[in-house]
Amino acid sequence: MRGSLSKRLVIWGLVSVSLVTLSLPTLIVIGASFTQGDIIQFPPDGFSLRWYRALWQLDSFRDALLRSVYVSVICTLVSLPVGTLAALATVRYRLRFRNAIQVYLLLPFTIPLVVSGISMMLFFGEIRLLGQLWPVGLALCIINLPFMIWSVAASVNAIDPEIENAAMNCGAPPLQTFLTVTLPAVMPGVITGGLLMFILAFNEFLVSLFLTDSRTVTLPVQIYNSIRSVITPDLAAVSVLYIVIALIAVLLLDRLVGLEIFLRSK
Amino acid sequence: MPAAPPDPTKRMSHGRYPISWRLLDQLEAMAAFLWPARLRRLTPWALLAPALLLVGVLVIGLGYMVEYSLHELDLATYRLKDAYSLANYQTILDRPVYLRVLERTLLGSVLVTAICLFFAFPYAYAIVRTQSAALRKFLLIALFLPFFIGQVVRAYGWLIVLGREGLVNSALAGLGLPGLDLLFNYPAVIFGLVQYMLPFAILLLVPAIAAIPEDIELASEGLGAPWGATFRHVVIPMARPGLIGASVVVFTLTLTDFAMPEILGGGTSDFIASAIYDSFFQISNPGLGAALSMLLVTLGSLIVATVFLIAGTGTLGVRGAAK
Repeated sequence: MRGSLSKRLVIWGLVSVSLVTLSLPTLIVIGASFTQGDIIQFPPDGFSLRWYRALWQLDSFRDALLRSVYVSVICTLVSLPVGTLAALATVRYRLRFRNAIQVYLLLPFTIPLVVSGISMMLFFGEIRLLGQLWPVGLALCIINLPFMIWSVAASVNAIDPEIENAAMNCGAPPLQTFLTVTLPAVMPGVITGGLLMFILAFNEFLVSLFLTDSRTVTLPVQIYNSIRSVITPDLAAVSVLYIVIALIAVLLLDRLVGLEIFLRSK
Repeated sequence: MPAAPPDPTKRMSHGRYPISWRLLDQLEAMAAFLWPARLRRLTPWALLAPALLLVGVLVIGLGYMVEYSLHELDLATYRLKDAYSLANYQTILDRPVYLRVLERTLLGSVLVTAICLFFAFPYAYAIVRTQSAALRKFLLIALFLPFFIGQVVRAYGWLIVLGREGLVNSALAGLGLPGLDLLFNYPAVIFGLVQYMLPFAILLLVPAIAAIPEDIELASEGLGAPWGATFRHVVIPMARPGLIGASVVVFTLTLTDFAMPEILGGGTSDFIASAIYDSFFQISNPGLGAALSMLLVTLGSLIVATVFLIAGTGTLGVRGAAK
């Protein structure tokens, strides 16, 4: 960064405060998860993996983890085609009622999660879907769909429509144009969106709180319920799982599309 | 002896096409059969249909919510009465407790938005303007990592840091100082929310700052403006679309948040979302909860609409990309 010393001091000073605030809970949780003792304390009491072992042997957490993976996979698999096609339709075609459709598709983002969650709970209760797991995956897909559409739409905006026309001029039928020209061009957006959908669903808490019961509880809800009783180091071990998955997602995103993509001014 | 040149007629025979070509031809034929050219006009609607249907599930749910909000709870049977009335909305206005929750939520949203922007701006600026690619990568990773970790896990981290036996209090005890009650109060909630919203604010500011050419800043400083003046009169005004986008997103997400006030506030600092939850699941009055939900939706939409009317849509504007 160019500029005077005082500017650099102020900017980097504020950045360091943000860095500490952003990273402190993560680092502390990692440290706490390796303790040997029965309670969380500082400095941690020795080093051991006992809480990780305890966690895997605890059916409630293992089942909740598997359920979370299941709903996240459903959410991702549904949102990939649905979001990609919707993004293509809204960006590429001259639609009637275009603005109304945009507003409608943004509803999951603009309606508060607590309201969406209870609304879908009321509806699913009415059609007897509560108590099953797949509707939870579907609901998570619905509330996060705008993120999928956004990330694909950004890629669609970036490609030149003439290359599709060129492919068709060269005799490619519609499906081939789509599969060999359009789809590869929007792939960065599809990958980003898919990753985002999985991570968001895997972490989603509030809507899942309304749509699950004690037999279908997902991992974030299970953690929430445990936080309200005693804080033991096993929760730190679960949290580390989340941190590791987040780290993998960040590195994947960086490898596949590059984090710098978010620096682009629109 | 040189190999005989491949017989061109053989190569062109249908059987020698790569399998993927034949597969694609089949698919193409199927697509043409299922979606003939005369339906081409409807193609965008076919592409949109699944998304419209999915969001439709939410809209139907919202319909139930509106319906519930218009029926008063019958205290004799603990069911909603059949008659339509605005009694639930009247109850919200009559009970000062809801006004206090509303005040606390709005104040919290304003505070969190202001603090977030204050810290997000230099962070976003540093990401854009740093000359070291490695440092930029580090700042981006430090930003994305918490962004990908859910609210519950992050709140749990703060419970460990700020709790009675937590990091801060252990450090204080080590120094022989008395412990502090850092949790289950309003400042803890604000702090947790700021930490949660900071990545959103930074990510929305970064493109706006990246759009400002560095030359303009250099020109301002070259003309003798101290960097503070350059920031105030050049950088911040030019980053306005990003500032609007970031504040709208942070404000509305805070306004409707549930987990942070619940976990870090421990019941002392309920936001509107907690009041909605309690109406449904603690006092079992779904009509009142639905009315509170409608209030929250209306309030959020009104505030966003007002900001957009006064200041423009900023980076959140829907871009008319169809040509």
